[in-house]
Amino acid sequence: MIDIQLIGLLNATLQAATLLFIAALGELITEKSGILNLGVEGMISVGAVTGFMTAINTENIFLAVLVGVLSSSIFASIHALVTVVLKQDQTVSGLILTILGLALSSLLGKNYVGRKLVTKLESVSSITEPSNIIEVLISQNIIFYLAVVLMISTSFVLKRTMFGRRLEAVGEDSKSSDSMGLKVAKTQFIATCVGGAFAGLSGVYLTLSYVPYWTDNMTSGRGWIALALVIFGGWKPYRTALGALLFGFLEALVPRLQTYGFELSPYIVKITPYVITILVLVILTIYKGGKTGAPRNIGVPFFRENR
Amino acid sequence: MNNFKLFKRQTVNELSTFYSFLIGFIIAIIIGSIILLIQDKNPIDTFSLMLRLSVGSVNSLSSSLNKAIPLILAGLGISIINSVKLWNIGAEGQIFLGAIAVNFIYINTQFNNPSFHILVLLLAGFVGGSVCILIPAITKVVFGVNEIITTLLTNYIVFGVTIFLINGPWKDPNSLNFPAAAYVGEEVFLPTVFGKLSFGFLICILFTFLAHYLKNKSVFGFEMRIAGGSTMTAIYAGINAKQKAFIAMLIGGGFAGLAGAIELLSQTHRVSTGISQGFGYTAIIVAAITGMRPLGIFLVGSLFGALSIGGSVIQTIGVSTYIADIIQASTLFGALIIQFFFTYQIKRVEND
Repeated sequence: MIDIQLIGLLNATLQAATLLFIAALGELITEKSGILNLGVEGMISVGAVTGFMTAINTENIFLAVLVGVLSSSIFASIHALVTVVLKQDQTVSGLILTILGLALSSLLGKNYVGRKLVTKLESVSSITEPSNIIEVLISQNIIFYLAVVLMISTSFVLKRTMFGRRLEAVGEDSKSSDSMGLKVAKTQFIATCVGGAFAGLSGVYLTLSYVPYWTDNMTSGRGWIALALVIFGGWKPYRTALGALLFGFLEALVPRLQTYGFELSPYIVKITPYVITILVLVILTIYKGGKTGAPRNIGVPFFRENR
Repeated sequence: MNNFKLFKRQTVNELSTFYSFLIGFIIAIIIGSIILLIQDKNPIDTFSLMLRLSVGSVNSLSSSLNKAIPLILAGLGISIINSVKLWNIGAEGQIFLGAIAVNFIYINTQFNNPSFHILVLLLAGFVGGSVCILIPAITKVVFGVNEIITTLLTNYIVFGVTIFLINGPWKDPNSLNFPAAAYVGEEVFLPTVFGKLSFGFLICILFTFLAHYLKNKSVFGFEMRIAGGSTMTAIYAGINAKQKAFIAMLIGGGFAGLAGAIELLSQTHRVSTGISQGFGYTAIIVAAITGMRPLGIFLVGSLFGALSIGGSVIQTIGVSTYIADIIQASTLFGALIIQFFFTYQIKRVEND
């Protein structure tokens, strides 16, 4: 009995972690370039609803994923336009991106609430009821493996390629990067749109597999937890993945606590992930003594002084 | 060869925020019209209906101003906290905890004088809002934890607590279909002053001037600006920056909590999920769009209150209420874009 419960817990952990991780990884890339985008929640929501609508209307799952990813990316370009090109406050712009994204997706999804999907994002293997850890690992949704690939490749790109080094240079010191001839604005613009695409992928995973249906505000703060994960991971892909697993585990564990014999109000249980997020942030900040690993230029608009 | 270069303007027009807002609002109305056209609705008819139903009569105008109260108060709170260059994304939670505090005090105390009773309850709301921001304030000041994320997360926590209370300990057995706490007695309802306009609006006017004075005229306001500016200046001036930040956060949270108290005592009369419909988030737009100016927050808050009322009544003709949210958010995006042209200048320069 315990084994089946543990398998279920592991399965749910991986699913919840995938959702959080992809969005967090996208935000990590954006923040590496020195742009803070607080609009993750809104971007996930836009990707979620556009992907779901496409899936309902075309029954073509690949097209749905593509539309979700692209529309989130285009949506993120509003933030890029306002903060990178027009050099306005990143905090304000990001916050409004979240508010706009949630309102826009509620408007778009109005006629899709409660509709059922014909085709979902499926698991790649034929195992429907995994009985051991290996089977759990090989029976995950395709997005899970995509997340693993993205984690490895992002880490590689950031550390080992010219694009990654440029990105980091721009985020650390945009003025010097500019005088070295790097295209600061272009790099930041691309990084913001890539972040949006990742959030969109997280969104389509939410509505095409994880839940899978559409209701208003169904992102329920996951975008904000993704933002916390970037801080948790110290702007490093692997550590962010570790954080995602931890938070995924908590999200999976909490509704199961009752089966393990804990008597808790389901309403109180629901708020635990948020309480734990705050606790983890506090512990982390104390532990690191202020050295969080944040890009030095984050949140500072780049402007070349002309004489 | 000619080349375009960007220059920062030496002086920025004093009214630039106002002009940016105005043009931003026009842009937002155009975006709203496009969305309406896509949905096969006539934008002119829809907007004129919104206008008529939000400011067309004494009743609708007072509903609009009632709706503006939480937007203005929470917006003022956000602007006070922004004096120390910190963000309060948790106004939504503070509004709820303000209302919860009111109900808690209402249940547990007895007063013979109704006016004094109401005063105590309003104060409870203020304290509730301060308590709500206490954890983010302590973690920010003591450990330096990012307040944007902690204040936001408290929204979800307080909302969870609200759901718990109205489904559990405070559940009104008479309210079967809609979970809510029991109604408060009529003796603590806030009186109306004009039409349906709540007395809360007068409190709102008072607090607007209070916030204006606090931010721009008082010594504390000056110290807050220094504390929010450079750390070194604060040290030289002998200002305890952390203390100022802490106090600013508690006051700002209190403003939003007061909004929750007024909502409960004048609108819902009980704790339910309807205490706030995203007021705390809209308040962020209101505060940001005015450049954190209290008097501006009062005006834009009133306008957005009317817009929300207009948005909720056009549901009857099959237009989504989210159109109001979209117009509000687009106004700020539009204003940000226009603000760029007030702060920067694009000049054509000869390349050598």
